[in-house]
Amino acid sequence: MAGGRRAILITGGTSGIGLALVRRLAPRHDLLVAGRRAPDDAAAVLPQGVRYVHAPLTTPEEAVRTVAEAVLKAGWVRLDNAILNAGVGFAVPGGIETAGQIRATLDVNLTASVMLARTLHPWLARAGGTLTLVGSVARRGQGLFPAYAASKAGLHGLARALRSEWRDTVAVQVIHPGPTRTGMHAKAGHDPGRLGAVFLPAGPVAAMIEGAIAARRSPVTVSHGRFVAGGALWSRRL
Amino acid sequence: MTRALVTGASAGLGRAIAERLAAEGHDVTGVDRDHPGAEAPFAHIACDLADRDSVDALAARLIEDGPFDQTVLNAGISATGPFEAIPAKAHARVMAVNAEAPMVLCAALARAGALSRGGRVVFVSSLSHFTGYPGAASYAAAKDALAVYARSIRKPFARTLGVTVSAAFPGPLRTDHAARHAPAGADAEKRMAPDVAARLILAEAARGRAVIVPGARARWMALAGRIAPAAVTGAMRRIVYDKLDRAVW
Repeated sequence: MAGGRRAILITGGTSGIGLALVRRLAPRHDLLVAGRRAPDDAAAVLPQGVRYVHAPLTTPEEAVRTVAEAVLKAGWVRLDNAILNAGVGFAVPGGIETAGQIRATLDVNLTASVMLARTLHPWLARAGGTLTLVGSVARRGQGLFPAYAASKAGLHGLARALRSEWRDTVAVQVIHPGPTRTGMHAKAGHDPGRLGAVFLPAGPVAAMIEGAIAARRSPVTVSHGRFVAGGALWSRRL
Repeated sequence: MTRALVTGASAGLGRAIAERLAAEGHDVTGVDRDHPGAEAPFAHIACDLADRDSVDALAARLIEDGPFDQTVLNAGISATGPFEAIPAKAHARVMAVNAEAPMVLCAALARAGALSRGGRVVFVSSLSHFTGYPGAASYAAAKDALAVYARSIRKPFARTLGVTVSAAFPGPLRTDHAARHAPAGADAEKRMAPDVAARLILAEAARGRAVIVPGARARWMALAGRIAPAAVTGAMRRIVYDKLDRAVW
């Protein structure tokens, strides 16, 4: 399938790392982007020819149905790649989030991914495709946003189990980006201060993620080590 | 008298923990979907932890009943079988009960000052955190989330609330729950008795340990899983996934 035109679904593709990935992949592949932005707002940032479905993952059950319908409507009978990248988080003092923050974080980052993986499996299996879960280096624990760290650890465990279960049909991987310069920290209510200066830009992180997707390895950490080693320059293309 | 809270207290590990705490002289509140029976030495609150409104109502009631010196967030359900053979809704329910409910309850109690200073909170995760668990992918995901939630709040809770947070990672236990989800031909005798696990977990929590892996066998598995994650997950596939003869949720 190398070099061929792929059918790719990306969630959270209208900002941050997701949008950077969309911009890289759109010229060579068929893309369906799912996001929480209204369709007009999404159209303003997405490249020409990219399909968009408005499916906020804060209501996972409904969103998964909407995404599945959009895949059908696109006429796709197979999915080469599903890149589950959407994520939210909330920075809180003392490690104490509200019930609403915990639920939104788990719904978007973890439960929606579990349900999408379950629902998209037939499409992925038909293509011998790849399911990519975008985690975070925070998955080892982070007192500033506990539910976010927890949700990303959940994705790690999901990938670990599913990669084994599906080894003959679908490649499953989890990729953990390090701190990246996106709008996420501001949305989370967190100012990284001077530390923000060393965050990696979204473009090179997306390049390294694309390389990891092409290699189908798991788990992969995409952070400063790989960047300094030239990972963004030499990474494979999908 | 000190107060203790145990979720999933009507059966299995939760029951053993609740009974042990009651025997030690704590005033124990047990939360469970099922009634523990009249002989249970602790109070019972009925709650379906998969239902958000019920969890919110439970939190409000517990805040009135508190503060709690010992909180053991143990309740869990599973969904075993090939991931794609289990309905998406069943997977969502596993996430709600195993990850969301304990996190929401813990945060609500902490916010309202219903966790006593000097007290402790124990989250019951699973040995699958170290080994991986093909055949129960959503369960493994939820238990990993819970483990890392516990790790994340440990420092801030110690600093601002004076509360010690631990995560327990029991291996296979001799419970009805385990029997329901075990692969064909699994030997229940090899599993740890729940009252042994309860004793070990409570003793380690009293020492303030962050990570509690009860039993030498489980500790070896955890170590192996850390050193060679892919190989151990492969072994789990052969031991569990390849032998599952049915999907159960």
